[in-house]
Amino acid sequence: MKRVIHEHVLVCLSSAPSNANTIRAAAKLSQAFGGTMTALYVQTKSSDQMGTEDRRRLQRHTRLAEKLGASVSTVAGDDVAFQIAEYARISKATKIVLGRSVAPKGRLFAPKPLTEQLVELAPYLDIYIIPDSAGKNQRRRNSATKQRILPSIRDVLITIGMLALSTAIGFVFHRLHFTEANTITVYILGVLLTALFTKNYMCSGISALAGVLLFNFFFTEPRLSFRAYASGYPMTFAMMLFSSLLTGTLANRLADHVKRSTQTAWRTQVLLETTQQLGQAENENDILEVIADQLLKLLNRPILVQCKNGAAIRRFPEGEPVEIPPETASQRFSFQSGGEAFGDVLVYGDALEPLESGILHSILGEGGLAIENRRNARQKEEAAVLAKNEQLRANLLRSISHDLRTPLTSISGNAENLLTSGEGMEEADKRKLLTDIYEDAIWLIRLVENLLSITKIGEGNARLNMTTELVDEVITESLRHVHTKTHPIETEFADELLLSQMDARLVSQVIINLVDNAVKYTPEGSKIHISARKQGKEILVRVADHGSGIPDEMKPRVFDMFYTGNGKIADCRRSLGLGLYLCKAIINLHGGEITVTDHTPTGCIFAFTLPVSEVTINE
Amino acid sequence: MNKLLILVVEDDPAIRNLMATTLKAHNYRFMTAPTGASALMQASTTQPDIMLLDLGLPDMDGVEIIRKIRAWSQMPIIVISARAEDTDKIDALDAGADDYLTKPFSVEELLARLRVTQRRLAFMQTSTPSPIFTNGALKIDYAAGCAWLGEQELHLTPMEYKLLCVMAQNVGKVLTLSFITQKVWGGSTESDIASLRVFMATLRKKLSAGKEEVQYIQTHIGVGYRMQKL
Repeated sequence: MKRVIHEHVLVCLSSAPSNANTIRAAAKLSQAFGGTMTALYVQTKSSDQMGTEDRRRLQRHTRLAEKLGASVSTVAGDDVAFQIAEYARISKATKIVLGRSVAPKGRLFAPKPLTEQLVELAPYLDIYIIPDSAGKNQRRRNSATKQRILPSIRDVLITIGMLALSTAIGFVFHRLHFTEANTITVYILGVLLTALFTKNYMCSGISALAGVLLFNFFFTEPRLSFRAYASGYPMTFAMMLFSSLLTGTLANRLADHVKRSTQTAWRTQVLLETTQQLGQAENENDILEVIADQLLKLLNRPILVQCKNGAAIRRFPEGEPVEIPPETASQRFSFQSGGEAFGDVLVYGDALEPLESGILHSILGEGGLAIENRRNARQKEEAAVLAKNEQLRANLLRSISHDLRTPLTSISGNAENLLTSGEGMEEADKRKLLTDIYEDAIWLIRLVENLLSITKIGEGNARLNMTTELVDEVITESLRHVHTKTHPIETEFADELLLSQMDARLVSQVIINLVDNAVKYTPEGSKIHISARKQGKEILVRVADHGSGIPDEMKPRVFDMFYTGNGKIADCRRSLGLGLYLCKAIINLHGGEITVTDHTPTGCIFAFTLPVSEVTINE
Repeated sequence: MNKLLILVVEDDPAIRNLMATTLKAHNYRFMTAPTGASALMQASTTQPDIMLLDLGLPDMDGVEIIRKIRAWSQMPIIVISARAEDTDKIDALDAGADDYLTKPFSVEELLARLRVTQRRLAFMQTSTPSPIFTNGALKIDYAAGCAWLGEQELHLTPMEYKLLCVMAQNVGKVLTLSFITQKVWGGSTESDIASLRVFMATLRKKLSAGKEEVQYIQTHIGVGYRMQKL
């Protein structure tokens, strides 16, 4: 057997303009290998500070990747190479495609380029590097990040306020003749608080520097000047600046960490909830509803889930307009699993935050997986049902082929006799042989009719040919197909018209089978009585005979497939045990019941019900 | 010697032989054709009186043959079908067939159908367009808009009368449910068919009120109704 190695190509998404080329190259590669493709976005600290331009480009790239058949995932972490290597390991990626990253040159302690880090972390990966005009991109990215470098007015006010407060406390300490060390501590504390409460990294740096200057200006001799007499001061200032900066940076990191953990917790919670709800979903539609609900909870804006089969699920935050045409959606995410797209999710409003879009992709991934699982499970169920039907069919075939031999032997044998030695036979003997041939052939015809009906009901409701029929008409017509000269048949119908929805041919088969049985199992000359009347919302049809009846212990089993009385009944020629089984199947398919009870003084009554159909008569 | 010429179209040699033997034994004149193409050719050259047509021919769809024949001839066509599906028969009847037989059929049944068709043929050939329709004891005066059973005038509702007229105008022919409802109600919805069942039941009750037990209207389960030519 040829072993097929499944290629899984991983491509990294970024906001760099050249990323589009990288994605296309990766798509070509995955296509050439006939493999699957995943586009991975690593969310880092700096991605929070991304400019609108970059954010939009990143979204374009995400969409491009989806269009080219990639499934999109997001992971978060500052160590990009580690995250990629981890994801590649978990997702069993075999190839990875990167745009050429430009290592910052001329800087001491410059980090190793991404490719080299990756080679170290994941030596088993094939790495493909796509050349690009990265230099331009690098500059542009710098200018883009600069937009966010200027601190907000709030940050500036907090910084100035903290410095003023520290200086004021310093004056109080000075008045109380505390040592300078206390004042320095107050300034460092100010920097710490500034770092905690401002969002911009520059604030703590500036505040550290300003703190040293203010301390120098207000509290060292000569006061109110930037000069310092004591020889130890430069050292003091340097130490103060250094500890301020360090405190500020640490505090910044702490704030960052808190924010990130909150986000991670939230993300985990949303995903966990999604997983739980997906687990409870009963069908594909439920899954789509769960996804739409979770996305609404996550994004709080209009969501439209469009399915490949045409179904659409809409969700709105309260008070939003109800009409959302697909054209006005701002973002479209495809929704897939195992290379098969199930539909699209349309999101309205502003561009998504990276965190939101990360969670969104995770939810879609979960949902896709859930749908795929559901489909697989259903296929398995169908296969099981098919196997069971196949088994039943095989049993049926075996039993029939076996039982067909008897009448066929009789037919062919009798015919052979007539052909070879018919000349010398007496007329009465000939007639006897011909009668046997005829009767066996009729028996075979009945059997074939029953078998045809069984295959028909085996295919379920779809094949039923339901029409409104008059029950007494159907009974009268069925009786024309029962050839008996030995058993008088009486019919008794209600005066009112009994209309019912049925497959007339199948119901007729039930009546024929029941009457045939009555003829077969009762002595010659005994009467058979058929009646039909309305009973509540049902029509009750009864076939009663005056035979020897059916023992109680056999009654529950007479409707089983292949159940035959096994010679217990007198004059039982042959039976496949299909007739009554078929009757029950047909009546149940029509929503009725079939029962067998004793007749008085002897005999049995087979009774079945059919639903009355209420119709309006067109005059 | 029976004057009628019957064309038997059947691809299976055993069944063809059975039909030929039966027809010969009852003094019918007949021809056989094993394929649709030869059937069409024989039909156009010899102009048989009745056609017995097997629906499952190897070269052509039976319903197609009926349509082609109906383009130029009104010869009665009795369809023989091995398929238990009612829809096949209904399609054939709607395409213009007069009657049907389902395999396996008994020889007796085949002969009975031939006799019915023969009567219908005789009726079609002798009757000139007349405002009075008679069939056994049943008499319909189209001009006066009333019907009698023997000497007794039938008290029919307008719907029953309309139904009776449709049946009478196609006497001897099996009419599908949708054909009748189209003619009487102009539609073929579920409630039209239910109405047909009800009116047919009341109409039959009125028709069977006569002295002798005559079934004027036959039911064909899952297919339709036919007024017998007596």
